[in-house]
Amino acid sequence: MIFAISTMLYSRSSLSDQNSSKLDTVGGHTPGYPILQTTGDILDPTSFVINPKNAVVDPMKYLREFNYGRISTSSNGTVIRDFTLIASDRQTKEVSPGVFYNVWTFNGTIPGPTIRATEGDIIRITLLNNGTKFHSVHFHGIHPAEMDGVFEGIAPGGKFTYEFTAQPFGVFPYHCHMQPLEEHITHGLYGVFIVDPKQGRPQADEMVMLMNGYDTDFDTENNFYTVNGIPFYYMHHPIQIEKNRLIRIYLLNMLEFDPLNNFHLHANMFDFYKTGTKLIPDEYTDIVTMNQAERGILEFSYKYPGMYMFHAHKTEFAEKGWTGLFLVKDGTAQSVNEDLNVTSRRNITNYSTSDFNKTTNLVSTGGVK
Amino acid sequence: MEREEGNIHNTYRISKRTILFGVVPFIVIGAMVVLLLNSPEIIFQSSVKPLPEISIEKVEFLDDNIVAFVRNTGPSEITIAQADVNDRIYPAAIEPGRTLTRLADAKVIIPFVWNRGEPYEIGITTDDGTRFHEKVKSAAPAPRPTVGQASTFALIGTYVGVIPVMMGLVWYPFIRRLSSNKYNFFLSLTAGLLVFLGIDALLESNEIAVNALAPAFNAQILIIMVAIVTLITLLYVSQRLIQRASKRSKPDIEYKSGYSSRSEPDLDLKDIRSSPTSFQQQQMIRPIAISMMISIGIGLHNFGEGLAIGAAVLLGEVALSSFLILGFTLHNTTEGLAIVAPMAKSRRIPLAKLMVMGLIAGGPTILGAWIGGFLYSPIATVIFLSIGAGAIFQVVYSIGSWMYHINGRGGLLNNHWIIIGFAFGMLIMYLTGLLV
Repeated sequence: MIFAISTMLYSRSSLSDQNSSKLDTVGGHTPGYPILQTTGDILDPTSFVINPKNAVVDPMKYLREFNYGRISTSSNGTVIRDFTLIASDRQTKEVSPGVFYNVWTFNGTIPGPTIRATEGDIIRITLLNNGTKFHSVHFHGIHPAEMDGVFEGIAPGGKFTYEFTAQPFGVFPYHCHMQPLEEHITHGLYGVFIVDPKQGRPQADEMVMLMNGYDTDFDTENNFYTVNGIPFYYMHHPIQIEKNRLIRIYLLNMLEFDPLNNFHLHANMFDFYKTGTKLIPDEYTDIVTMNQAERGILEFSYKYPGMYMFHAHKTEFAEKGWTGLFLVKDGTAQSVNEDLNVTSRRNITNYSTSDFNKTTNLVSTGGVK
Repeated sequence: MEREEGNIHNTYRISKRTILFGVVPFIVIGAMVVLLLNSPEIIFQSSVKPLPEISIEKVEFLDDNIVAFVRNTGPSEITIAQADVNDRIYPAAIEPGRTLTRLADAKVIIPFVWNRGEPYEIGITTDDGTRFHEKVKSAAPAPRPTVGQASTFALIGTYVGVIPVMMGLVWYPFIRRLSSNKYNFFLSLTAGLLVFLGIDALLESNEIAVNALAPAFNAQILIIMVAIVTLITLLYVSQRLIQRASKRSKPDIEYKSGYSSRSEPDLDLKDIRSSPTSFQQQQMIRPIAISMMISIGIGLHNFGEGLAIGAAVLLGEVALSSFLILGFTLHNTTEGLAIVAPMAKSRRIPLAKLMVMGLIAGGPTILGAWIGGFLYSPIATVIFLSIGAGAIFQVVYSIGSWMYHINGRGGLLNNHWIIIGFAFGMLIMYLTGLLV
């Protein structure tokens, strides 16, 4: 897929204005496409922002949020990390702008929180089942049979603590393993579990990306594809990164129904560490293809500032939501952080002004195929 | 007297109670409506939200965008969330707004550079994540109401409707010279043609009702309803028409027919005695009235045909080839024959009058093509086709009763010319229909 995109960010009017007689515009995302004026409403999932009150996740928060647990030390000096996961299955949340779906979640979001530890730590995860069905947590990695979260479901209102040693280092999925498995996974009970090598990895701007989809009309075909839970989110909220800085992405595919998914980076190449279990890259590439539960680590840095796309190179997935942008800034780490703060502050202001804001940045395009 | 009074008194007393009986059902049903609308869970344990249902009634391909006309055909209000082309999500506009009350409609405009002649699938997703879609076999630019396009439709309508009907009328002098048997033959041939057209209209409207309209419209029942109401209304109108004409020409009340004027107030014996003249007049008035009704019926039918042609062009289902036009032309020439057949034994009809009948029958094709091409609506098409069917069956009835009248009692099925003519009429339509 060849997208040549130059950027100009500007703010869209909010949905609350739609009832006024003001003309709204749609289109102009793609080179050569007309910009249309309308007196009606706009249906534009590529530039609407879901009200955080309804949103299934805040993808920008999820991106760089790593949970290290409540830390304590055992008598022999081993680090113990305590986590709490609350399973629920009764909420209806907005998974794509304007589309509401009964989500089953760990801690209220899809994907669930990213759990992170260092190889050799003792992990204790307490699952509280706040739902109406049996649920469990099944971690990938090495652990005893009774900690595998497969044979013992936790009843509604029940509680169980999974305890095991984090091993080996790498990137792992965790998900509910109750039957019907497909149902529990498609509704959203999954997340990323990262085990760092003892010696650590080189300093980098780290982020987690989980690829998934939603089959909102239950026809065993996904209606939406996303990275980090909401379709097209990083199109209107590009991920800001710094020129020449090492970027590390922990990437996991949890897509149901479609056999394959992939990640393609524009105008760059990355080192790929399959499953993240080795410190030597397996491949130097710009695309990696994964089946469900496959994962790995991507490392790269951008040489030139500007806007770069990343997306599934299965174009169907890309055009149904699995598309995003990196905004490479030419500056210091501090200025990037300031930019991020500006972004989040602006969003908070906008959300407070109306119930359903579509305040966002449109990517206007020029350029050629 | 007393007894009568008692009766009246009794009736009055019952009336009071009757009023109560009349009101109680409304009160009970009203209470049920309030209860069910406000708290259905009292009666039904599960209050599952009813499934949404929308119909994509029409898809138009404009210069740089695709327009889908959607209607909420489900049981409750819905909100449209997203639109897609070929299952790929695109930004779109929806007018007047994204929330649709029951049976309300909206226009979804998707900026999209489409390719002529390629198939497209337009999808609309509601707020609960259900996707509805409509396939278009071959994208074609929607006809715009420009002078050029309007003239093209007018030309098509003239070819398909006006010219063939006029050509059929040219057979008038030929028909006039026919013997009684041949006259019967042509009359029943006409009836056969019309029965074919009527059934064709019903099937056509049924097809649209099933394929393009949501079950919420109950469109199949609507077809039958509209056809029956049209039939009886036109029967009434034609009776009045004949009555008025007969009144002006002092009709013969002894003349047995379904159109007898028993209610005529100003008849006198003198009129009755002058029966031979009146009979002759009646003999001329009724066929002309029948021919006029046939013209109107065929006009309504051709209006429906015009709608179908215009819509087919709009929906890109048909590449209007000269072959197709030729087929319609041959098919419709027989309609002119249907108009002149009943008048074969009347006094010579002025050319102007014939022309008027021809225009009434053929002209609506042009009007239909305009409406179908510029403002297509499946529900309107179904209704017009059903009106056409009802009109045609009224004409068949009129021809039948006229033939019954001129052949005397039991004459209809005794004459093999009538049977052959009827069968031949349908066969002609079937064979010329193969060309379309």
